[in-house]
Amino acid sequence: MQDPPIVSAGAWPEPPALPEPIAAVPVAVPPPVPHRFAFDGSAGEYFRIWIVNLALSLVTLGVYSAWAKVRTQRYFYGNTRLDGVPFEYLARPLPILAGRIVAVALFVGYVLAGQLSLWLQIGLALLITLLTPWLLVRGAAFRARYSSWRGLRFRFVPDYGQAYVRYLWLGIPLVLTLGLLYPYVKARQKAFLVEHHRYGGQAFGFEATAGHFYPPYLIAWAVMTVWVFVGTALLTAAAVALHRPGAEPPTALVFGWMAAFYGGYFAIWAFLAAAIGNLVYNHTTIGPHRFESRLQGSRLLWIYAGNTVAVLASAGLLIPWARIRLARYRAERLAVLAAGSLAAFGAEHGEDVDATAAEIDSLFDIDVGL
Amino acid sequence: MTTHPTPLQGSYFDGRDGQRHAVDVDLAHGRLRVRGDRIERDEPLDALTITPRLARTLRTIAFPDGARLQLPDAACLAIWFPHRNRLEALVDRLERYYQAVALAIVVCLGALVAGYLWGIPWLADRIATHLPAGVEVALGDQVLALLDRTDLDDTALEPERQAELGERFAALAAGLPDGADYRVVFRGAPSIGPNAFALPGGSIVVTDELVELFADDRQLDAVLAHELGHQVGRHALRQALRGSFIAIAAAFFAGDVSSASAVVVAVPTVLLQNRYSRQFEDEADRFAYAHLAGHALSPSWLGAALRQLDADLPDDASLAWMSSHPATAARIAAAKAAGADFVAQHPQYAGDEPDLVLAEEETGGGPCCACCDDAGCEADRENGDADSGACTGCSGDAAAGDDGDDACERGAAADAVDAGADCEADPDACAEPTDAEAGADGTPR
Repeated sequence: MQDPPIVSAGAWPEPPALPEPIAAVPVAVPPPVPHRFAFDGSAGEYFRIWIVNLALSLVTLGVYSAWAKVRTQRYFYGNTRLDGVPFEYLARPLPILAGRIVAVALFVGYVLAGQLSLWLQIGLALLITLLTPWLLVRGAAFRARYSSWRGLRFRFVPDYGQAYVRYLWLGIPLVLTLGLLYPYVKARQKAFLVEHHRYGGQAFGFEATAGHFYPPYLIAWAVMTVWVFVGTALLTAAAVALHRPGAEPPTALVFGWMAAFYGGYFAIWAFLAAAIGNLVYNHTTIGPHRFESRLQGSRLLWIYAGNTVAVLASAGLLIPWARIRLARYRAERLAVLAAGSLAAFGAEHGEDVDATAAEIDSLFDIDVGL
Repeated sequence: MTTHPTPLQGSYFDGRDGQRHAVDVDLAHGRLRVRGDRIERDEPLDALTITPRLARTLRTIAFPDGARLQLPDAACLAIWFPHRNRLEALVDRLERYYQAVALAIVVCLGALVAGYLWGIPWLADRIATHLPAGVEVALGDQVLALLDRTDLDDTALEPERQAELGERFAALAAGLPDGADYRVVFRGAPSIGPNAFALPGGSIVVTDELVELFADDRQLDAVLAHELGHQVGRHALRQALRGSFIAIAAAFFAGDVSSASAVVVAVPTVLLQNRYSRQFEDEADRFAYAHLAGHALSPSWLGAALRQLDADLPDDASLAWMSSHPATAARIAAAKAAGADFVAQHPQYAGDEPDLVLAEEETGGGPCCACCDDAGCEADRENGDADSGACTGCSGDAAAGDDGDDACERGAAADAVDAGADCEADPDACAEPTDAEAGADGTPR
């Protein structure tokens, strides 16, 4: 198994080596047993679901889209299995519809405001920015509450104070340092999201620090810088060589320039996504169990590039194929390193049991995200 | 209700811990019976809910106490739980019939195309109609203020020149429905170059570079008439609204693609918006032809203006489908055709035409052979005398020293040498009308 370059250059510890499946080593702590995630969805099946969803959403002017989302999520959850047990998506369409109406109203308002008055748009942008941490927490809580495995629900413990610190307040030093703090901020945000999730009476833990996040980002920045410099130098040379006095630069050169820079950006982005994805999962724990993610940047780049070309060339008809392909790859590269039985989770106690709290909570149940 | 002959196999989770219990499920006396692996439950069906059928995914039966039972879909589940989840049951059936799926594809693609061709323009235009004029003016002022901060400088034109051009503009705008609201502003724009654009609310920005580029003020009149076309049609506002709707639609689309969405969506968005823009340009061109003709100016002045702009900033006709403007060559040809029409209807203005042809024939080598196809000449033939003599007659005018219309000249040339093949064989025959025109050229100036 070959690690993507960005990952292998990182400074964080190697993920734990895969143990033998049946390792009868006489030690006090039994070695963790890897349980791979499996994804069974098929492109043909999902295409039918997707196209019918889309057609019904169009015919109902978007109202059906909430039902469509539930159906889609149920399909993806239900086809993702761990230890042979599929996940379940439990949300009902109506709260999702409400959330969508709010989101669409905000978005349309924002776009139209941009056409009418700059100040109105800035005001709306400010409002949306101020609301973002709150919406993030609400969204995470919604998704967690309606995700279940082995008959047990996930939970997200809302902590608005920390959300505002990590998603808004940290933005100030981030801007003041011209983005140099970005990996640190990212590390704090990921830690926030992971550590506030609960499942089966256990809290998720996050062991990565900002020090783990810096290497991939620094490498990505360095590669991008080199790419821009070398690319600009080469293209300038080509432009000078091909230049005829009085002529416009050849169209092919202009497009080549754009393709080269977008392509480079795209490739680096794919490698970075793989590196950060691995980093987050490989430092996530729940109780005694760990995760192991082995995404490869090159493979991810191949999938993203293929998806992009396919979706564009098919006028969107291959979107289902693209989504299934990505979900399958992500699932098959992810495993839980279980120390002991995965069945030994207990039901959550606390807020979930309180029916009144759940009711009040569900008044603000909105899953924002277009 | 009957007992199912063979029990269904499922996984039972009690909702208190993650333990999986392998169980057999069947129906006994109207109650769901769950047996196996330390589980023994009987539950009335009415107390249970079941997740709707979805492809090959497992179905889940939920118990009132939070226990969940997962089992593969089976025909008997529909019998045990009739009339549940009617909407999703219907959708599930649609997904399983290929005719319904095919219909869904047609609906989606049809809606996509119809929405783009008619839906978005209709909606945007409705909103544009109902938007108060004050909003439009404020919007235009804002755009101008923004441009003034970034790309535009104060004009370097002398006040007298500005006043002179302002009067020409006022004469052009007079008589239009909202003519009093339209105004022209001059700005220096070294980074933009020769250009003119219509802002929402009636302002037309003309760059100094454009004023200086044109040798003849009638070229500027033609450009202003084109921009007035944008104003009369409220194109700036309508284009902005249409563009916004495309962007909104693209955002939804991107949400579905969810991979590299920015790049995937940005390019088609711009291409789609540009098609609307090209339609508006065509509309403004057509308005300009009519408006110029109404002011006793030949539409071919727009062609002359475009020709000069094209010489300054050439465009690539092969990329016209992705541009915000139609191909310049096509626009020039259309303007010339409209000019020929105009002259045919108002022969008294025949002398006041731009010297488009001259520049063309001096630079382009031997275009005379293509001239027989020239739309302008065809139009002349139709509008003039019915027989082919019209062209020669036209040519006769030119010989009299008054006519600058190139189309007829060249048509006449082709007529004179009988056929294109002869023309090629004898280039000297082509040179003749060019000379005639060169002589005719000086008069309008």
